[in-house]
Amino acid sequence: MGWLTTEVALTQETSDETLLARVAARDEAAFDVLVARHQGRAYRLAWSLLRDAEDARDLSQEAFLRVYRTAASFRGEAKFSTWFYRILVNLCLDHRRRGRWWQRFTVRDEGEDPERGGLLERQPGATADPADLLGRERLMAQVWREVERLSPQQRAALLLHVQEDLATSEIAQVLACSEATVRVHLHRAVSALRKTMGRGQSDAS
Amino acid sequence: MHPESELIAFVRGDLPPAERARVAAHVDGCSACRRAADESRVVLEALVAGAPAPPPLDWGRYQAELRARVAASRRAWWRRPVPTVLAAGFATALIVFAVHGLPRTPSDVVTMEETVLGARLPLLQQYQIVERLDMLEDLDAIRQLDRLGGAR
Repeated sequence: MGWLTTEVALTQETSDETLLARVAARDEAAFDVLVARHQGRAYRLAWSLLRDAEDARDLSQEAFLRVYRTAASFRGEAKFSTWFYRILVNLCLDHRRRGRWWQRFTVRDEGEDPERGGLLERQPGATADPADLLGRERLMAQVWREVERLSPQQRAALLLHVQEDLATSEIAQVLACSEATVRVHLHRAVSALRKTMGRGQSDAS
Repeated sequence: MHPESELIAFVRGDLPPAERARVAAHVDGCSACRRAADESRVVLEALVAGAPAPPPLDWGRYQAELRARVAASRRAWWRRPVPTVLAAGFATALIVFAVHGLPRTPSDVVTMEETVLGARLPLLQQYQIVERLDMLEDLDAIRQLDRLGGAR
């Protein structure tokens, strides 16, 4: 069996946990596969938590680096993705905690980069009324700004639930808290967003 | 009691069957919770549909940077940049100082003997047995003076 055949088998068939065991034995190819498999989600989650592309790139790389260093300590009690999210979310929350105080009062939203197009361009439904779309775009921007104002734990819980589609039990493992606490985080986060949407709709009408 | 904290998990179908049945029964009979569940569903669906995407990345560059970081972390300590080695040396010196303190010089010892002598001076003045100052150099003899004073 040649090197190329091994690489293909790693890419298509090997589970994350098996790859991690190989990484623990310093298998560079396994690490590359693991990174390629999770880099997109890692970067997206880090960016959603931090709203800074440079920081998101740096911290998602740092999370992979820690995976490489500590692969041997993975005991298999949780899925690799849960373990990895825990490393990444902790890095991001620590980074926010250490952030300069004035950054807390500044909302940086790179999602409004004109080169990439705004929410309007990313939404389907070209046949819809442009006025409706504009109102919807404003409303969504308002809701996502409200997401920025949530507490770090609430925001992390909401993003892991909505964006990464993690179950409550998995979020509890990532955030190292009980499922009941995760439910409270989600309830408070969505309640705040419901109020924002309610205000937005009443302003529009 | 309204199942407020379970409502999001209920809407997302993320509750165990027994809990789900209990919350469903409550929501059916409670207009406030039904409304809260409906509004929560709208918010969650809107969040999924309208999630802003991060700026695009050059993944080739990303992986190259990561490989460089991994290689740097593997590098032996003596091949790391000088500041790292210096910092490690300074940290080691601090630890040694914290554990052992500064090395004692002979002058420190003399100072300690003088301190002991000074503390005993009033006692020494009461004893006629102290005839020769040479005896004062013997710390053991000085320590015995306490006992002699008590016996007197």
